[in-house]
Amino acid sequence: MIGPLIPMEIIPEAWNNVIAVLLGMGFGFALEASGFSSSRKIMGTFFGYDFVVLRVFFTAAITAMAGIIYFDFMGWMDASMLYINPYFVNSAILGGVIMGFGFALGGFCPGTSFCGVAIGKIDAMFFTAGLFLGILLFSELYPLFSTIYNSENLGSITIYEMLGMKKNLSAFLLIVVAVGMFYGAAIVEKKVDKVEY
Amino acid sequence: METKKRDGSFYINPYLGGVLLGLVLFSTYYITGRGLGASGAVKSSVVTTVQAIAPAHAENSGYYSQFLSDDTSPMSNWLVFEVLGVLAGGFLSGILYGRLKLKVEHSPKITSRRRLIAAVAGGMLFGIGSQFARGCTSGAALSGMAVLSASGIITMLAIFGSAYLFSWIFKKLWI
Amino acid sequence: MNKRYLILALLAVAVGAGMLFMPEPGRDKEIKPEQLLNAIDDPSRFLSTDLITDRLVKKDPALLLIDVRPTKQFSEFAIPGAVNIPIDSLLTPANLGIIGNKELDKVFCSNSDMMADQAWILAKRNGLTAIFVMQGGVNKWFNDIVKAEEPAATEPSEKFALYHFRKAASQYFFGSPEVKSEIANVPKKSIPVQKKPPVAASGGGC
Repeated sequence: MIGPLIPMEIIPEAWNNVIAVLLGMGFGFALEASGFSSSRKIMGTFFGYDFVVLRVFFTAAITAMAGIIYFDFMGWMDASMLYINPYFVNSAILGGVIMGFGFALGGFCPGTSFCGVAIGKIDAMFFTAGLFLGILLFSELYPLFSTIYNSENLGSITIYEMLGMKKNLSAFLLIVVAVGMFYGAAIVEKKVDKVEY
Repeated sequence: METKKRDGSFYINPYLGGVLLGLVLFSTYYITGRGLGASGAVKSSVVTTVQAIAPAHAENSGYYSQFLSDDTSPMSNWLVFEVLGVLAGGFLSGILYGRLKLKVEHSPKITSRRRLIAAVAGGMLFGIGSQFARGCTSGAALSGMAVLSASGIITMLAIFGSAYLFSWIFKKLWI
Repeated sequence: MNKRYLILALLAVAVGAGMLFMPEPGRDKEIKPEQLLNAIDDPSRFLSTDLITDRLVKKDPALLLIDVRPTKQFSEFAIPGAVNIPIDSLLTPANLGIIGNKELDKVFCSNSDMMADQAWILAKRNGLTAIFVMQGGVNKWFNDIVKAEEPAATEPSEKFALYHFRKAASQYFFGSPEVKSEIANVPKKSIPVQKKPPVAASGGGC
């Protein structure tokens, strides 16, 4: 059984949506149980009183990354078949900056806002409504943005290709950086005033 | 064995949460070859709504038409089902830990109204940004990092860098 | 609690360090050197010009004749029905999509065998299957088919059959036996590109 299972046609595509729901449930549960349904908890990362976002995010990233690399190494999975999102330089950075702005105002991102909605957070519902409106606005004004949106496509490039590094070295460095950040976060948290939320 | 507090204040250890989330993300890649996503589902609903209300406009638009050309865009539908799962999973966790409650969460220093306005504004900006970046923190950043995608990592840095900056500008909303 | 986290941190770094000792994935579709050497020894990859001509005349849909010469040479003369993928762009993602098509027989040709054989080795190393080389290349094809010579009367009848076949093919491709080599009317051919799974829906992301 070599993964990825559906592209390798080991699991028929008809199961796709069922699997989507199940994986989504795992996603939602893990997020909510970690506290991502609370906007004030999420914002703690930016003010230093609660680094849950940093911890969960990077732990998840390196766990999945390590899993992929080891599975690929053992021959249980063909990592070259995994989807790598294409890099449109200008559009990605601009989008990231705008999203950061929205994050600071709204205190959510789409995934966490769904968790908030699931437990009844009204501010999360308003955020989700805002998402809808924002996407609608973008789509309607698309002609204004289309040049930037489509500019400088570097394709499905990985960070190690871009930096000219070896794949496994960059993975190792990411783990080291993540652990370093966890350590730093613990120190900062001790020094910052507690916030009731 | 300690009984878990069910009053809503208990959160699991973040590293444990991270490992769980990482396992879900890994499983998603292992099974489907793609990562998780979130904003894509909202985008799908926008496209579907616009198509239902004004089909000619949708087809002529430079943006909507990209997602309408296939009769069923498989990834978009996948995301919609995934998000349904997210809602269900979040709900389950909410029940389990006693966090189901209809309320507006806001800093005591601002009013509910202000919080809600900020939430909508934030959502709109995030929606716009997510289209430029072709993803959000879940899809581009988290899933991208797991496969060491350049776009994922750079987008993540842009999001968090910008969020840090703007958080301090809008400090009053939070602390 | 701190000791527990320290252990977890060390575990994470150890997992990462383990990755450093793995062999570089690199081009993971590359076949092993021994396999490549064995394949090179095997002459079954060579297909004769007559066979290719026969398949071209019959418009065999499973045949993809790939001329790996530089575009300039291709435009001066090419075998009708061949497509031009110069050898130095053989392995671009777009062209890999074309030559990676498992349902076609890919036959490389060049002026003689050499460039075509090089292309074959490149393709073989990347794990491609159903790849062949047209023996003798475009030069042989031209000499055999276009300049087909009537055998002497004393030659066996098979030779005559072969001559008639070649002459007919020449007429089929070029209309008349006396054709100048500059005229190369390469009919356009739609090449099915095999998509690499999984196919990402446009702008799907997130």
